[in-house]
This record gives sequence, C-alpha cells and structure tokens, in this order.
Amino acid sequence: MIELNNIIKKYEINKNNTLTALDGINLSIKEGELVVLKGASGSGKSTILSLIAALSKPTSGEVVVDDKRVSKLPENFASDFRRDNIGFIFQKYNLINTLSVKDNVLLPLVPMNLHVDVLEDKLKRVLEMFHIKHKEDAIVKNLSGGEQQRVAIARANINDPKIILADEPTANLDEKLSFSFIEILKELKRRGKTVIVATHDPLFFNLDIVDKVVEIHQGVIS
Amino acid sequence: MRDRVNVYLIEYAINSLLRQKYKSLFITIILTALVFLLTSMFFITNSIKYELQSTVDALPEIVVQKMKAGRHYDIDVDSVDNILEITGVTGAVARVWGYYYFENAGVNFSIVGIDEYEDQYKSSLTNAANNLDFSSSSMIVGEGVKKSMQNSYYKEYFNFIKPDGSLKKVTIGGVFNTDTELESNDIIVMSKDSVREIFDMSADKATDIVVKVSNVDEIQTIATKIKLLYPDCRVITKDDLKISYQNIFDYKSGVFLALFIVSLFTFFIIIYDKVSGLSSEEKREIGILKAIGWRVDDVLKEKFYEGFIVSFFAYLLGSFLSFAFVYIFNAPLLQNIFTGYSELKTSFSLPFVFDFQTMALVFFLSVPIYIAATIIPSWKAATLEADEVMR
Repeated sequence: MIELNNIIKKYEINKNNTLTALDGINLSIKEGELVVLKGASGSGKSTILSLIAALSKPTSGEVVVDDKRVSKLPENFASDFRRDNIGFIFQKYNLINTLSVKDNVLLPLVPMNLHVDVLEDKLKRVLEMFHIKHKEDAIVKNLSGGEQQRVAIARANINDPKIILADEPTANLDEKLSFSFIEILKELKRRGKTVIVATHDPLFFNLDIVDKVVEIHQGVIS
Repeated sequence: MRDRVNVYLIEYAINSLLRQKYKSLFITIILTALVFLLTSMFFITNSIKYELQSTVDALPEIVVQKMKAGRHYDIDVDSVDNILEITGVTGAVARVWGYYYFENAGVNFSIVGIDEYEDQYKSSLTNAANNLDFSSSSMIVGEGVKKSMQNSYYKEYFNFIKPDGSLKKVTIGGVFNTDTELESNDIIVMSKDSVREIFDMSADKATDIVVKVSNVDEIQTIATKIKLLYPDCRVITKDDLKISYQNIFDYKSGVFLALFIVSLFTFFIIIYDKVSGLSSEEKREIGILKAIGWRVDDVLKEKFYEGFIVSFFAYLLGSFLSFAFVYIFNAPLLQNIFTGYSELKTSFSLPFVFDFQTMALVFFLSVPIYIAATIIPSWKAATLEADEVMR
C-alpha cells in the first residue's frame, strides 16, 4: 500500500523564488495495482515518483509505503528502502553507457556483496525475462533505444522489488517498442508488482490492465 | 555479507578508472612524476648525508697547515716531534699529498703518500698500506681513478708528469676500498717517496700534519697549544671541518628544498582542482548509483578504492623509478646539484641508504591526500538528494 498524504513539494530556484511542483497531493495505491499518472510535462508526475522512491523529500506531508513513512527516512535507510522495494525505470534510462549490459543490470547488487552464484541466478532470471540475454556482454552505448530500455527494466527488477516506477517509459520509443513495453507491464502486473507509470502517452490511458488513471495538472490532482 | 571485503566494489572502482582511462592515466602520470621527484630528492639527500657523515667521521681530529702569504705551504717534518711532546697528543703524522690534474679525463685526482711502518691516520689507509708494494713504484687507486685511467688505456701503469716535465711511471697495484665512494673515489695511494717525486717536494717537508688526541674534549685546548707553538700555522679541528662540510651541504639542500616546494605546490594544485568539483557526468553517475539503492558509504568506499588504486600505484611506481634513477643510473642531473657540475671530480655511485621515514613521509604526502581529494567532492554529491544530483 502506497499513500501520499497532503504532499507539498517546492523547489528553490534561487534565494527569492521557489517553484511549487506539488500542492496538496493525496493519493492511495493498493498493492498489485497498475496506476497511470497522466499529465503534461512539468505537471508534477515525475516528482510524485521521486517522492515514492525516497529520491527526494516532500516540503510537507508524508509518503507512506507499507506502513513505513519513507519521507522521514534518514539517507542510508532511504537507500536500503529503494534497493529492497523499488525498481525505477527512468525516462532517459539512466544507464552507465560505458558499462556492459550485465554490469549495468547487476549494479544495484554491488554493495550487497552477494555470492557469485546468487548474482548469476538473479542476472539470468531478469535477462531472460526481458529478452536481453543475447546482449549480456554488449556495451550499453552500442544498443538501440528499445534494448537500452530493456536493460533499464532488467536493472529495475534485479532485486525483485514490489514496486516498479516508470517515468515516461515510451517517450523515446516508437509504436512497436511501446507496445512491447506494454507487454512487459502486463507481465509485471501478472507477477503481482505494484506499477506506477508517469506518462502523457495516450496509449496507456485505456489499457485494460490499468487499474487507475490519475490526472495531474500543475501539481494538483484534477 | 556487507562486512567482507567487497570485491565487486573494487572491481567497479577499477572499471570506473578504466572507463576514464585518459583522465586516470594523466593523473597517474602526474602523481608518479611528483612521487618520483620527491623520493629521488630524499634518496639523494640521504645518500649524500651518509657519505658526508662517513667522510666527517674519518677526518683527523686536528690538521696543522703552514701558511705563507695567505696560502697553504709545505710544513717541516720536524714539527711532528714538537707536537708529539704536547700533553694529550697520542700521535702526529706528517702527510704528503696533493692534487694531480688528469688532462685526458679533465678530472683531479688526490694523491696520498703513506709510509710502510708509519701508523696510518685512517683505517682505509692501513688497508692500502697492507696491499701496497713499497719496494717498487706502485699505487692503489680508487674506483673512479681506475675507470678514468682505463678509459685512456692506462690499465697497468700511469705516467705522471713531474713539475720539471719529466715522467714518473707508477704501476697500478690494486683498487682502494672504503665505506664511501665519495671519500675514496678519486684517491691514489702510493709511497711518500713517490709522491714527493711527483710533486717535487724535499724529504724534510710534508703537506700538513695530522694530530691524534686521546680525549676529544681536549681537542680545542691542544689546538690552541699548537697555535701558540706555531703562530704561522693554521690549526683546523674536526669541528671546523664538520661545520664547513655542513655549510656546503645546507646550501645545496636549499636547492632541493626549492624543488620540494615546487613539487608540493603542483601536487596541491591537482588536489585543489579535484576537490573543487566533479564533472556533470561524475555527479550523474553518483545520482544513478544512489537512485538504484547505493548508500552514501557505498559510494564513498568505491571512491576510496579509486583514489587508493591510483595514488598507491603512483606511489609504488614513482618510488621504484626513483630507486632505479638514483641507485642504478646514479641520478643524472639531480646529483649534480649536490656534487657540482665541475668536471674536476671523478664520478661516484650514491650508497644505498633505505630510510623508512622517507618512504613514510612521501606516502603520507601523496596517498591519503589524494584519496581525501577524491572522496570529498563525491561525499558532497552523495549527500545531496539523488533526484537533485541527477537533475
């Protein structure tokens, strides 16, 4: 269960000016739901994802995930929370372009110092699940946009998180690859993941797998 | 699991350095060069200090030189008997020595004369006396002299040109060995008679007189007594010689100090540049790592490994190169700062002196400072919100 209670998020532009990205957001998402956050660029969708992932803290209000107030977590606990619970698929993938597919996908597990067999098992599972096994040793910068997204999805799932957050996942994809991504979403939902997609792509709004579409406009739920 | 050494983190650090190979290579080269320069200066300083200390230790307690018109003149050998009568003096030897200019190599040799049955004022001379054939014109030469002569095809003997223009043929009977090359390198030891012949000195004259004293506390008193006995002589004590050696050494150390300061200054410019900020790409990477679940301390550990690998490698390589430069190649250029550019001195090898403190000093001046310079900006970026860093 994810709850956002009366969230206000302001960014300081300079000493005299602030930008209100979110203004009194209240949102509740149940476990296993697939929720689409709909809105134009700059509406505050990505900020909501960022707050749920504890990548930033709200100016006021609180974010609660599974009864844990993640918006109040100290820095290192927030990192642990992300590692154990969140798989984030960024709009620009945020991969390390000069590393191989394998190294990128394993990156979240590096600090955990797991046994090599465990790493191999996890790697094999996600690479096969997201059909990128054949590119395992390829350098990421040499991959196509669709392949890079699969790597980003594989990385987001390497630790089998309960929550998947996707920020504008189809912004850099053509129609065919966008449908392919929807197939991946179906698979994730089938596996019981809670999925939140922030997008302005109309492709997502009438999908039968979507449980809820939340429209954001200038930092407020419409 | 987290307590074990995390090899994946080390592997990531190595990959990270390899991904920025030109930058990493550049920093490693600069650090290596600085370590090399610093370590070389310390190695040379230590070796020359050792050389000078050994030389000073071997100096006679008192030297008496006859002066005339402000210049050093030959002294009467009879003076030895009068000096020996002074209470506290345990020995006095009339030395016969001088410099010989070897034109072929453009160097000066020091020729020292010894007597077979005389007490030598230095243990190294005693060894030479045991090996020297006094029955013929023979000499024991230092390594540098031997090399210089061999280069001019004098392998078995050498013809010294006497002041009257005639030649004195002396055979090479052996090689002179002492603890320090600085002391023995340019020395030729032969009988006093041969030296007198080469320098055209009469049998009742000597170059100077060295005096041995039983109690070191009495050196100054005895020096004063000799001065009273021979007011026309210059009486030099071991302390006077020590001071003049030390003055030369301190003056030349100043040049090294200047080099040392320049090296440190360069190093701190690099450090300042690193501390002053990360590139946007580096910041983004830290943001990504945090976004996928890395803790601040994971990022810092990784950066620690990066800094340690570069700086420790540079430290080892710089030290190794410096060792080879100083002790194998004999520190070309740098050594000249201490020994002078003059061609009037035969070349010598620096003695190997390992000083743990020197190695520790260079280590602490390079490795921890560089690691700190790597970690501090990363810590600044890692403690910001990941969202902010990526934006």
